[in-house]
Amino acid sequence: MSNTVSARLYLIIGAWLAGLMLLSVVLTERHVAGKVIVQIVVGLSTIKAFLVARYYMHLKSDQRILLVIAVVPFILIALAFGVVASSFFIRL
Amino acid sequence: MSSLAAPAGVLTTSSGVPNGKLGMWLFLASEVMFFTALISVYVILRMGHPAWPGPEGHLNVVMGTINTIVLIGSSVTIVLALAASEQGRLSSARGWLLLTALLGAVFLAIKAFEYHAKLTHHILPSTNVFWSSYYTLTGFHALHVIGGIGFNLYVASRMQVRVWELFKQRLELAGLYWHFVDIVWIFLFPLLYLL
Repeated sequence: MSNTVSARLYLIIGAWLAGLMLLSVVLTERHVAGKVIVQIVVGLSTIKAFLVARYYMHLKSDQRILLVIAVVPFILIALAFGVVASSFFIRL
Repeated sequence: MSSLAAPAGVLTTSSGVPNGKLGMWLFLASEVMFFTALISVYVILRMGHPAWPGPEGHLNVVMGTINTIVLIGSSVTIVLALAASEQGRLSSARGWLLLTALLGAVFLAIKAFEYHAKLTHHILPSTNVFWSSYYTLTGFHALHVIGGIGFNLYVASRMQVRVWELFKQRLELAGLYWHFVDIVWIFLFPLLYLL
């Protein structure tokens, strides 16, 4: 990938990040989405984080071991949440 | 853009990943755990308090939005610094990196203005659980921004043609750290300001 293309891609990703952030603000300020607003805003934030990690942190093109390192904390977090959530069902 | 091969003069691990880069990713993984713990506590507290954030009112969404745009802009500038460095345009890379540090300083200045506004209204960490969470989350994030600015300025100070070959991987490391700080704010902003 040439550097010119890279710079253009970085600017496009930056515009998407800003656009998605402004969409979150508009949706919450105008109460457009009602009760599902939390899921929508957190979902938009997750998309933004994915874009940053994939394109700006180069997880798309770097060695797979780095992707594994990036994903492992989220697996551990999911396990921790699983344990916490299970306490709702296993009350002795 | 980022090649799989390590630059000349950079020591690599058996996986082929440069030592510094592997170390930075492991550090960032630990940072993910740290901030997730803080954010999880915030979410649990939030779910347990129907009247949120309380009678002191909400945060200024306009200020938060401007700050978010500033931080997103700084993520763009630091990745443009990396692109310029890989193209051998060192002065351009230095300019983008210094702009990144400046945007980080603007972010902190706006945050300091917000803190000042709250503190002059006697809204303290001890006011209630929301403000305690707010100061904790944004305070730790601000500390990371300060660290990132320092890292960026250190790398910028080493941007000289005769030694850059030895230091240029540190620009990528500074970028990784800065993007992580950006990702943390991407989640903090909606949680604290919007929801």
